[in-house]
Amino acid sequence: MSTVLLLALIASQLCLVSGELLMKRAMDLTNATPIPWRRFIPRFLSAIACMSGWFFLWGGILQRADLSFVYPFEGLSPILVMLGAAIFLKEKLTLRTWIGIALISAGVALVSAS
Amino acid sequence: MNSKQPSAPAPHPRPSRRSYALLAVGVTCVTAAELLFKRGATATAGAADATALFGFSILTSGWTWLGIAAYISASAAWINVLRQMPLHIAFSMMSADQALVPLCAWALLGETISPRRWCGIGLVIVGVYVIARPASHREVKP
Repeated sequence: MSTVLLLALIASQLCLVSGELLMKRAMDLTNATPIPWRRFIPRFLSAIACMSGWFFLWGGILQRADLSFVYPFEGLSPILVMLGAAIFLKEKLTLRTWIGIALISAGVALVSAS
Repeated sequence: MNSKQPSAPAPHPRPSRRSYALLAVGVTCVTAAELLFKRGATATAGAADATALFGFSILTSGWTWLGIAAYISASAAWINVLRQMPLHIAFSMMSADQALVPLCAWALLGETISPRRWCGIGLVIVGVYVIARPASHREVKP
């Protein structure tokens, strides 16, 4: 794997995870009445910005490699998002959730090693 | 009225059936979007600058724009899922596309999948099932 491809994969993961965390924060606010737009809009827009960064990085990655080869690296994102959700959003993780993550990671490792 | 203990985090409210249906729509649209992006990327690969980090030339293909439409539909479904569902549950169920995308790349784009990769895809499916099942069958405690 080239250095450019590896850098793009790392950067795309960072963009994706921070985008998801910001979007969850934004959408949680929409359950309140009235919706606190002043707090919602900056979170929503920065989430969109992160996801746009992810989109163009992902486009560059796809131009260089087979989808079934690079897609497994996206499989790291459930683990990263779960850690982010536990740390920054204080979501409670159950044992079953951790078992599920372990299985997904093992599957991803197998897919990317082949 | 506030009888919650300050130390115990509030349990997540049980997500509705609508959330699960929206999640299914999201997974389908994301899978379609990835396949369309790959078609767009393949169609524009000749124009790619080998040193550039960003693949902006992908936008010159119509397939990419179809992919964008699918991705926008998925995003609309996704942000509505997020209103109710904890992020780690929703996102891990969304990773069903980790198995669906290679499967569809094999079936529709003619990419090859080795036996080890098949095993990996199987593990991802089991992992998603383990996470999704207790979330969808959990009883609400009084």
